[in-house]
Amino acid sequence: MTTVMERPESLNGPAIEQVPQRPWSKRPAKFWIATAIAVVVPIAVVGLIYSADVTPPAILLTVIYFPLQLLAAGLAALVTKGKHGILDSCIIVLAIGATALSAIVLGSMLFTIIARGIEAFRPSFIFQNSVYISPSTPLDYGGIGHAIIGTFLIVGIAAIISVPLGIATAVYVTEVRGRAVPYVRFFVQAMSGVPSVVAGLFVLTVFILTGVLRQSALAGAIAYAILMLPTVARTAEEVLRLVPEELRTGALALGSTRARVVSKVVIPAAKTGIITAVLLGVARVVGETAPLLLTALKNDQTVVNPISDPISALPTFIFDNVAQPYPDAVTRAWGAALALMILVAILFTVTRYLGGRKRSA
Amino acid sequence: MATDTPMRDLSGSKKAHRGDRIFNRTITGAAFTSLLVLAGITIFLGAQTIPVLQDQGLSFLTTTVWDTTGVPPEYGIAGMLYGSLLLAVIALVIAVPVSLFLAVFMVFMAPAKLSKILTNLIDLMAAIPSVIIGLWAFYVLVPPAEEWQQLLNHYLGWIPLFANDSGNFSGTPFMAGLVLAIMMIPIVTSITAEVLKRTPPELINAAESLGCSMWTMLRYVALPFGRGGIVGGIMLGLGRALGETIAVFFVLKIVFDINFFNILESGGGSVATLIVSKFGETNGEFEVQVLLAAGFFLFLGTLFVNALANLIVRRTERLRS
Repeated sequence: MTTVMERPESLNGPAIEQVPQRPWSKRPAKFWIATAIAVVVPIAVVGLIYSADVTPPAILLTVIYFPLQLLAAGLAALVTKGKHGILDSCIIVLAIGATALSAIVLGSMLFTIIARGIEAFRPSFIFQNSVYISPSTPLDYGGIGHAIIGTFLIVGIAAIISVPLGIATAVYVTEVRGRAVPYVRFFVQAMSGVPSVVAGLFVLTVFILTGVLRQSALAGAIAYAILMLPTVARTAEEVLRLVPEELRTGALALGSTRARVVSKVVIPAAKTGIITAVLLGVARVVGETAPLLLTALKNDQTVVNPISDPISALPTFIFDNVAQPYPDAVTRAWGAALALMILVAILFTVTRYLGGRKRSA
Repeated sequence: MATDTPMRDLSGSKKAHRGDRIFNRTITGAAFTSLLVLAGITIFLGAQTIPVLQDQGLSFLTTTVWDTTGVPPEYGIAGMLYGSLLLAVIALVIAVPVSLFLAVFMVFMAPAKLSKILTNLIDLMAAIPSVIIGLWAFYVLVPPAEEWQQLLNHYLGWIPLFANDSGNFSGTPFMAGLVLAIMMIPIVTSITAEVLKRTPPELINAAESLGCSMWTMLRYVALPFGRGGIVGGIMLGLGRALGETIAVFFVLKIVFDINFFNILESGGGSVATLIVSKFGETNGEFEVQVLLAAGFFLFLGTLFVNALANLIVRRTERLRS
């Protein structure tokens, strides 16, 4: 026989790529038409109402568009999949709706902070303090320099207090592993739930009403430290847990003392994670206002002495200027909000970057 | 945690290196800072609460009088305690459905890339300081929200919940609850998404191969599996809502009378906000003590809610492992 039976191509030549067929994801044309109608019709109806009427868009979206979209999706599902599809289509609409709603809220926040804050931004706004500045003073004079210094001072001292304690707590849980580990973790959890205003009240009773401290950067920093400690401790605990057990046993086998194992092996191995923990702690407190209102008050002058005088920080500066009847004061509040948000965004990005690198390494 | 703990063997032993003993003690001491602080808050704020309760009796907790100039002055925070709860409930009612659907979208519907972006955005939202949310709410959210309230009142005003006789729609519990909901959404969403992500894929695949719809899969597989974690996340958000001070300060008009359920009526209460708003105008030591006492009860409330939340989360984690 001259003709050879034809063999499957895959055995002869290079293997052809087999594209999975995914028959379950094939949709009939009816499905796509119904979906398109369900998406387009509510938008068209709302668009018509909007162009004909003066109903505010927010109300139009929540009261008319949303129920209409649910109805349209439900009908489309009924036509294509039968009544079992109705709930599914409603869940899809609700899920997308919830996502869109949250995105709108976040977008609106970021947009207004930037748009309104940029009006205040100029060199003098960043570098000057607010001495001789009243709420009605034009924007070209005075600024938030004193509040920026105040924020850095208070957060810096708070970090100096809380970071060693937080890391020590984490080291206790992951390295010393004493009998009290479950209790320590429970107390750290409980502490993370302390409302910020209560931390302020605590510092007020213990240090200020007793006359030990004045209302100052240090008092504010102690309140911040109380709020920071649980975040630092919990994050540090998580990253210390990731250090391979072999490093510890290896160092111990070489005759290191445990203090040395922790200080020369475990903590250096988790260095990036520890930095992340510290930055997360800072991000947790940097915008806290309530404790400062009780423990640091406000001050229009630049203060660098942490124990001598009341001091302003960015959150308290915003707080003071929000409800003022003068537009320039309000613009200052937005400017300070933008400055604070930039700080938060930097901390956020750096922690993400460090966290991402750690995971990929 | 590793089952064998080689480092522990030496901890109590006299053979341990002297430096190690010092190290152990220092670390152990530092680890109890959190206990120290919690005990300190309880003792010091508690000590300030005693004279207030002695002077005012239980009426401090059960009445709504706030008469600083009276002879003798009278203080009652019942309206504030109830107000805090009411705000938290309103916030829960708004935030929980949004968070659940958002989490479902992130975990089960969105493509991986979008899901990652959304996770980052949710975390960014959680990082926005409350004073900035208050500022935004005061200038951006309040004007349309007042219109929504009028609309609610116009169409549903016959339900006592949405009644408004004064025609004043500013500083309502609804508004404050809405702001709290915005602050709760990122917390509840990120915890819920974490929990839903851990649903075993084989369960989801099994459900899908049996022909379950999305709803059936959620209702009978994912939600029951993550129920404990989700409830715990909601409770954590609740704790945050109870303790939130500044954002509420800008949108709620503090009144001492109990506003039981007229959530569209101007005026409500919040313990945390009361403390900040009255602190600047305190007159004499006793008034400061009154605020400290209010803070003490706020602390007890949030501690209770958080402990409960952690208990629920931990128990479900243990059940799972």
